[in-house]
Amino acid sequence: MNRVLARALVLMVGVGLIAACTSGSNNTSSNNKFSGTTIRVVTFTGPQIAEPLQRRAPDFEKLTGAKVQVITVPFSDLYQKVLTDFATKTNSYDATVFDPQWMGDYVPPGYLEDLSDRVKNDSAIQWNDIAPFFRDFSATFKGKIYTIPLDGDFQMVYYRTDLLQKDGLKPPETWDDYVSIAQHFQGKDLNGDGKADYGSCMAMKRSAQSYWMIISIAAALLQSQGTKQGTFFSTDNMQPLINNPAMARALGIYKTLSRLGPPDQLNNDVGDSRGLFVTGRCALSLDWGDIGPLAVDKTQSKVIDKVGAVILPGSKQVLDRSSGQLADCNSTLCPYATNGVNHSPFAAFGGWSGAVNKAAPTKVKDAAYAFLSYMSQPAQSGVDVTIGKTGFNPYRLSHFNNLKNWLDSGMSEQAAKDYLGAIQTSLQSPNMVLDLRIPQSAFYEGTALDTAIAQFLAGELSANQTMAQITDQWNKKTDEVGRPAQLDAYKASLSVTK
Amino acid sequence: MSTLASSRVLRAASASWRPVAARLDRSAGLVFILPAVLVILGFSIFPLLASLYVSLSRLGFSEGGVELKFVGFDNYAKLLFGIDRPHFLGISGPLTPIGIAILTAVYALFAFLLYRYVRGPGLTVVGLVGRVLATVIGAALVWLIVDTVLTSGRPGTLAVTLIYVGADVSVQYLLGLGLALLVVQRLPGRRFFRVVFLLPMMITPVGVAYLFRMLTDTSKGPLYPVWAHFGLTDVSWVTNPWGARLAVMIGDVWQWTPFIFIVMLAAIETLPQELNEAAVVDGANRWQVFWRITFPQILPATSTVVLIRLIEGFKIIDLPNVLTNGGPGTATESLTLHAYTIWRALDIGGSAAVAYMLLIVVTFVGIAYVNLFRRRVAALA
Amino acid sequence: MGIIRRRSGSVSTTTVSLPAMTLSYIALFAWAFVVLFPLYWLAITSLKTPLDVNGGPFYIPWRDFQPNLDSWHYIFVDLGEDTFRPYLNTVVVGLTSTAITVILGSMAAYGLVRMRYRVTLGAIASFAVGLAVTVALLIQRWALPLAALAGLALFVLLLQTVARRSKRAVGNDDIAFWMISQRMLPPVAVVIPIYIFFQQLQLLDTWGALIISYVASHLPIVVWLMRDYFQSVPLELEESAAIDGASPYRIFRSIVLPLAVPGLVATFLFVLVFAWNEYLIALFLTSANAQTLPLTVAAQNATRGPQWWYMSVLILIMIGPVIAMAIALERFIARGLLVGAVKG
Repeated sequence: MNRVLARALVLMVGVGLIAACTSGSNNTSSNNKFSGTTIRVVTFTGPQIAEPLQRRAPDFEKLTGAKVQVITVPFSDLYQKVLTDFATKTNSYDATVFDPQWMGDYVPPGYLEDLSDRVKNDSAIQWNDIAPFFRDFSATFKGKIYTIPLDGDFQMVYYRTDLLQKDGLKPPETWDDYVSIAQHFQGKDLNGDGKADYGSCMAMKRSAQSYWMIISIAAALLQSQGTKQGTFFSTDNMQPLINNPAMARALGIYKTLSRLGPPDQLNNDVGDSRGLFVTGRCALSLDWGDIGPLAVDKTQSKVIDKVGAVILPGSKQVLDRSSGQLADCNSTLCPYATNGVNHSPFAAFGGWSGAVNKAAPTKVKDAAYAFLSYMSQPAQSGVDVTIGKTGFNPYRLSHFNNLKNWLDSGMSEQAAKDYLGAIQTSLQSPNMVLDLRIPQSAFYEGTALDTAIAQFLAGELSANQTMAQITDQWNKKTDEVGRPAQLDAYKASLSVTK
Repeated sequence: MSTLASSRVLRAASASWRPVAARLDRSAGLVFILPAVLVILGFSIFPLLASLYVSLSRLGFSEGGVELKFVGFDNYAKLLFGIDRPHFLGISGPLTPIGIAILTAVYALFAFLLYRYVRGPGLTVVGLVGRVLATVIGAALVWLIVDTVLTSGRPGTLAVTLIYVGADVSVQYLLGLGLALLVVQRLPGRRFFRVVFLLPMMITPVGVAYLFRMLTDTSKGPLYPVWAHFGLTDVSWVTNPWGARLAVMIGDVWQWTPFIFIVMLAAIETLPQELNEAAVVDGANRWQVFWRITFPQILPATSTVVLIRLIEGFKIIDLPNVLTNGGPGTATESLTLHAYTIWRALDIGGSAAVAYMLLIVVTFVGIAYVNLFRRRVAALA
Repeated sequence: MGIIRRRSGSVSTTTVSLPAMTLSYIALFAWAFVVLFPLYWLAITSLKTPLDVNGGPFYIPWRDFQPNLDSWHYIFVDLGEDTFRPYLNTVVVGLTSTAITVILGSMAAYGLVRMRYRVTLGAIASFAVGLAVTVALLIQRWALPLAALAGLALFVLLLQTVARRSKRAVGNDDIAFWMISQRMLPPVAVVIPIYIFFQQLQLLDTWGALIISYVASHLPIVVWLMRDYFQSVPLELEESAAIDGASPYRIFRSIVLPLAVPGLVATFLFVLVFAWNEYLIALFLTSANAQTLPLTVAAQNATRGPQWWYMSVLILIMIGPVIAMAIALERFIARGLLVGAVKG
């Protein structure tokens, strides 16, 4: 008995020694640079965004030994959950894939890790491959890099190529064009099922995406001199750019469009408008990049190969900020106009980006950064942006070079060129509009602007009352937070240094 | 602590019991109630105080973290007098004849009740002060509803919530009671109905809200043939203020009738049979049996279930949130949704202020209800 | 205590007349249709592709559209673990919290019905003062245990001295009203303090946090509902048992509870439903491990808009166990009534 026991002990010790030796030697190989660390990434419940993170986590673990745990939370409550976690120092998350607009609230209290140095020393991420707008504006705050772009978000107009071609119409160049095309098709049967269909389908529901839609329209009339000019406030005194003829005209257009769509349009969010468009019931739609891949998805779409995309319509008149009136475009007022039309592609929402919790242990932060970099690198992201289910839209110059991935996903060559062309034109525009990212941006946009627009569409407020209400609420909030601080933050977000 | 009827008996018997058992029995009262009281107390104190403090402050971000700055009653002032007043209270319009008629009738009723109390026995200072306060608050709420709904004005979230609660609880009670009475009869298959009628309550409220969103969709919802038949396919009832409110109310009734149904069912099932049999022998018809015998006996259960539904009903949020996000405009927004919307934008101070206004209104309704109905009902039983 | 016998009850013992029966059935089936049709719609939506859902109303499988199990496959297989874990959490938290709530709540309800409580205003005032002192000390950055101890000491001191002199008191009804008043404040106002509360206790993302929260929130409902059911138990039964020498506990367990079984079952089902379906507290107190199913349902409304097909599957599997319990327990609601025990 004792001999058996002794032999068992020797065996165990031997195995233990061998294990220790081998793990020791593994530590030096790059395959286990982060072995033993777990990265807890929080984002909203997928499949968008969460699915590619979950899908690539095992590969990343094989490469570096770090385990990635993706935690998901319902989308509408992600902001509160993450902020509460950081603010109460619970720190259950090491990284988050979130809306970069929220940087305005997360950076000043110091919740996010400054990634500038890591990016500088990381050649694999190919930082300069990222389109300039996302590189210089979307990922930075006060000149430092805080997020890694994983997705490129901006709004475009989609149209039915077959319908416009048949009636000899060109894709809309200005918002007035958009309105007249919508009027032309409203009430006609557009998908051959005998029921009357709609000219334009937009997400006008309250507390959904409506406030981005109105900004897309208004931006064309408000911003003409480059991203740094800003669209929401004056960079001189933080006065809202709401109570002016440009906004009044934008409100008029929005109201007209609310009548040129489905009867439920005021209660449609982006899921409804996309559903309507890809089942062939709308001639036009305003949306992010998701319609491109959705339109070629056989389980969802009846308009495969009948969809074209174009850069956000512009305006031939813009707000002259010195006079406060609308004026015709000329080379000084609209230096970036094409064909006399000022386009302001709106990077609504900003594009899902990854950020690292500053309070996490250093090794975890390094690992988290490595994972985000891995997700962003062209080899991975190039494939992910062609898969509609991932929710990732193109944001790197290399995403446009390889047509093959797009064709593999089911787009015809024409559709792919069209879709990518519209995105590229938008990305290269020097007049792209940066979404609001000052502290409490959720209040300015999601509460004040959104509620007033909903009331305007429902007829509870007139256009003038709407503009007055938004201006009052914005000013009150600005004064509550502190006007100088907000002005600083606004200028910092635009990287305006004066 | 003293027990009802048995205390003398217990003391007499205790001499022959072992000391521990005796002490345990004497403290039975405490043992029965203390666990529940301690749990509720322990869990509720901190959140109540904290949220009260939050309602008097404002959240801000600074270098180094979040801070709560004390601002006194500013959040409440914004709701009652300031920038959020149209949202919370609504916009009043000039009174119409109907409005004036209703106001007169209701105020006359209040005056009469007050007069009766003053002239009746049991007049106390505290009682009088309480009743005057209640009358004033009640009169203000009635005026609010009449002046924003029956005129060209627009009701705010407070008025909308009051309308929801009033309409929903009434309909739920009538339906629930009716269904319970039907199911209690000796009909074959009643077990099937008993289970089926429970179903709506079992679906998570968020799920019910999404379900109703599917149902009210005029283009792809199942009621499409009905709309088409009436030529209403181009009419959207969720973009009309009262249509949307109606959708919310129908959803709420569908979801919560089972609650009242099952409570009433259990109450009726435990009633002794002899009284009914005696009445039938004496020649009473079914209505008389119900109204004279059954109904008075289930009044306690009725008053409880209505009170619970009132309190829960004030917190309605999922249906207006998912169905229309409070739209069109602010037409379907309830007080809790109002608080939630503000809270999502990090104005937790403002949100807590709305919540406390809701608390004040519900407390008022609860106390008024208890004093008006439950005391009398308990005395009857 | 075998003197209680039951007979199934009904409002009228005479057979129901034919016209009355027809009308009853019409009404019953009408409401059953109102209840079941939306659920039917849910079921077929879970069998539809997105194209079918968005394309217009399709009613009958195989005739109007081809049913497929893609959504079910996604929820059970693709999501697998992500569906199973919330399911398990929901079951555990729901059943445990409901059982505890019903036990504690029934006891409190019985106490409120059969015993007379008096809490003097002096005692309440002492408590308030002790609490105020604790809060003040906490603001002055004292450690929590020390501040709590100081407050407690002050409370006891005041209780023994000043409070003794106070005569006016609150009674059973006021205690009950205090309990139900805890449900008046909407959860959104207290969710962040509750989060901080459990964070300090290091119970975030555990079953314990959810169970405690649900027990505390649902106790008032159990107390109020059971009060009425207990009140309908005839007092004479309990008195005769007490005369025979039974302790209050024995009376409660052997006489009162069995007679209140219908109410007990109904209450159990409610509280289970409340705990099963609760969203906001669950959202905040959980992150990776303890998430419950309502979160998964709400999460189907992603940036793409609601994914009706997945949501329908989730809602259906959520109500499955609850319906099963309701069917199993439903027979107890119809237990019926006493026979002769009162008179005999």
